[in-house]
Amino acid sequence: MKLQLIGLSHKTAPLEVRECLAPPPETVPGELHRIVELPGVREAVMVSTCNRVEVLAATEDNGGEAELTQWLCSGRGQAPELIAEHLYRYQGADAVRHLFRVASSLDSLVVGEPQILGQIKDAYRTATDAGTTRTVLNRLLHKTFQVAKRVRSETNIGGAAVSISFAAVELAKKIFDSLEGLSALVVGAGEMAELAVEHLMAQGVSKVQVANRTLERAVELARGWGGHAISLDELGAVLGEVDIVIASTGSPQAVITAKMARAAVKARRGRPLFFIDIAVPRDVESAVGELDGCYLYDIDDLTSVVEANRAGRAVEAGQAERIVAEEVVKFMSWLAGLDAVPTISALAAKAEEIRTAEMARTLKDLSELTPEQVAALDRLTQALVKKLVHDPIMFIKGASHNKSPDTLRQQLALVRRIFNLEENGGE
Amino acid sequence: MSTTLHWITLAAYLLGSLISLGFLVRQRQGLYRMGLALLWVGFGLHTLALAAAWVEGGVLPATSLRQSLDVFSWALMGAVLVVNLRLEVKILGALAGPICVLLLLAASVLPVVPSVKTAAFKSAWIIVHVISIMAGYGLLALTCLGGVLYLTQDKALRAKTMGPVFRRLPSLGRLDSLNQASLLAGFLLMTIGLISGAVYAQMALGSYWRWDPKEVWALITWLLYAAMLHTRLVQGWRGRRGAWLSVAAFAALVITFLGAGLLMPGYHSFSSMADLGGPRP
Repeated sequence: MKLQLIGLSHKTAPLEVRECLAPPPETVPGELHRIVELPGVREAVMVSTCNRVEVLAATEDNGGEAELTQWLCSGRGQAPELIAEHLYRYQGADAVRHLFRVASSLDSLVVGEPQILGQIKDAYRTATDAGTTRTVLNRLLHKTFQVAKRVRSETNIGGAAVSISFAAVELAKKIFDSLEGLSALVVGAGEMAELAVEHLMAQGVSKVQVANRTLERAVELARGWGGHAISLDELGAVLGEVDIVIASTGSPQAVITAKMARAAVKARRGRPLFFIDIAVPRDVESAVGELDGCYLYDIDDLTSVVEANRAGRAVEAGQAERIVAEEVVKFMSWLAGLDAVPTISALAAKAEEIRTAEMARTLKDLSELTPEQVAALDRLTQALVKKLVHDPIMFIKGASHNKSPDTLRQQLALVRRIFNLEENGGE
Repeated sequence: MSTTLHWITLAAYLLGSLISLGFLVRQRQGLYRMGLALLWVGFGLHTLALAAAWVEGGVLPATSLRQSLDVFSWALMGAVLVVNLRLEVKILGALAGPICVLLLLAASVLPVVPSVKTAAFKSAWIIVHVISIMAGYGLLALTCLGGVLYLTQDKALRAKTMGPVFRRLPSLGRLDSLNQASLLAGFLLMTIGLISGAVYAQMALGSYWRWDPKEVWALITWLLYAAMLHTRLVQGWRGRRGAWLSVAAFAALVITFLGAGLLMPGYHSFSSMADLGGPRP
C-alpha cells in the first residue's frame, strides 16, 4: 500500500495551466471513477480549487505513478509535457505531509486562510459519494481534518487571514468612523473577498453590490448578501455610489483605473472611497491610492499591516509545521501497522486453530470431566496460547511503529517464516 | 480675586493637560476621563475669573493683548469641550490643553494695562461684538486643529503601517464632522461679531466701515472662511483640500487677531484703545 499525491498549485503553475486542469465540479465523480480504474490505483480523492488541482491516491506498492501522471496530463487542452513540468509528486510520508500542510492552510496563497479546509472536506465528500475511498484514505482524510483543526486551535496561524479582514475593518473605521449604513462593492468573487464582506457587514455595512465577469456568479453572491449584481461595464458609474470597494478578480490587468476613481471622487463630492485590493495581480491602479479622498490597500499592504502587528508570526508557522510533522509520523505508523495487521491476525488465528484442535482431541479421551472442569481446561489453554503469542504480536506491533517500511517488511516475513504462516496478500 | 482665579485656572489646565498627555501616551481611559474632568473644572474657573475681571474692571476684559489672549484661550477651551460633547475626539485635550496653558502663560507675563473704562466699552453692541468674535476665533482655531489632525491621519493612513499615530487619532470621518461643525458655528459667530461691530461703529464712530487695518484683515479672513464654507458645501472640498484651507484661513485669522492688534496702527490696535473716546454725538 502506497500513498501518492500528484498535482499543481499556485506555487508551481501559472493560472492558465491551473485553469485548464481544474475540472467542472459535476465531472469530478466521473474523473474519480476513471482514476480508480487505472491499474494499481485503489482509492482516490481529487482536490480542485482556484489555486490548486491535486489527486491523492492509495496505490499498490509498485505502480500507479506513471498512470496517474498520464491521466492528469492528457486531454486537458494543453500539451501534456507543459502540464507535466509544473507538477509535483509526493509519496508516502511526503504526500501525507503535503496534504496536512494544505489543509492547515500552510501552503495557501494567503497563509492561514480558512476556506481550504472546507474545500478539502467537499472533495472528500464527493469522493465518498463516488465510492472511491476506503480504509486508507478514509482514515487519512479524517486525520487531516483533525490536524487542520489542531493547527488552527493550537497556533494563531488562522489569525493572519482573519486579520486581513480585521485590518480592513479597522482601516474602514479610521476612514468612515462608523460603518453603519455604508455600502460596499465587491468586484470579482474570491474567498477572501467574501470573508471581508462578511466582516464588513457584521460591522454595519448595509448595502452590497457585486460585479463579476460571469453575471450568474455575481447574482448568486449578491443574493446571499441581500444585494444586487451589476456587470463589469457599470463599474465606473457605481463607484460614485459606494464607500468601500473590495476587488479580487483574476483579471491580468487593472479593472479600476485612476480615471474611473477620479470621476468617482468627483461624483462623491469629497466623501472618501476605500479600496481593498486583494487580487493578485492587482485590480486597482496604484495611482488611485494617491488621489485625494481615495485610500487604497492591496494584499501586501494588508498582510504587512497584519505582520507589523504580529511579531510572533514566524513562530506560529513553525509551531504549525511541528504539529504537521508530528501527525505525519503518527499517521505513517498507523499506515505501516496496516501492513502488520494481516500477520498478527494470521498468527492469532493459527494459535487458536491449534488450541481448539488439541482441546477437541484431549476432551475425547477425558469423558468423565464435569462441565466446570472442561471450562477450566478451556481457560487454561486459552491463557497458555495467549501468553505464548503475546510477545511475538508485541514485537510485530512495535516493529510497525518504529521501523522503516523496508525493515518492517523483512521482519514480518521473518515472523511468517518462523510461525509458518501462509501468504495471504497484503490486506 | 480675578488674579487668584487666573492662577488656579492655569494650574487646573496644566494638570488637565499633563494627564491628557499621559492618556495620549498610555491610552488608558481613566486618564482620559480624569484629564477631561480637570479641563472642565479649569474652564469653569476660567469663566469665573473672566467674570470677576469684568466686574473688577467694569468693562469687558478684552481691551489689552493680555486680556485678549486670556479670552481667546477661554474661547478655545470652551469650543473644544463643548464640541467634544457631541463629537468625541479624545486626542483634543492633549492638544488644546497645552495651547491654552501657553496662551494663559503668555497673558500672565504681558504687562497689565489699566482697563479703559470709557462708555465706549460698555455698550451692548460691543459686548456682542467682542464675545461673538472671540467665541468664533475659538471655534475656528478648533477647525484648524481638526484640519491638522485630518492631514496627519490622512498621512498615517497612506503610510499603511497602522502605527501609533494611526491608532491614537480619530477617524477621518469624525475629524471632517468636527471641522464642518466648528467651521459653521465659528463662521456664524464671526459674522455676528463683524455685523455687531459695524453697527456699533456706525453708532459710536459715525460710519460702518473705516478701512482700519484690523477691519480689512477681518474682512479678508471672513471672505476666506466664506470661500472655505462654499467650496466645502458646494464643491465638496472636504478632505485634504478642506483641511489645508482651514489651516490657511486660520493663519489669516492670527494676522487679524495679533498682527492687526499689535503691528498695524489703527483704532482696533490695543495701544490706541485707550485713546478711543466714548460715543460721539
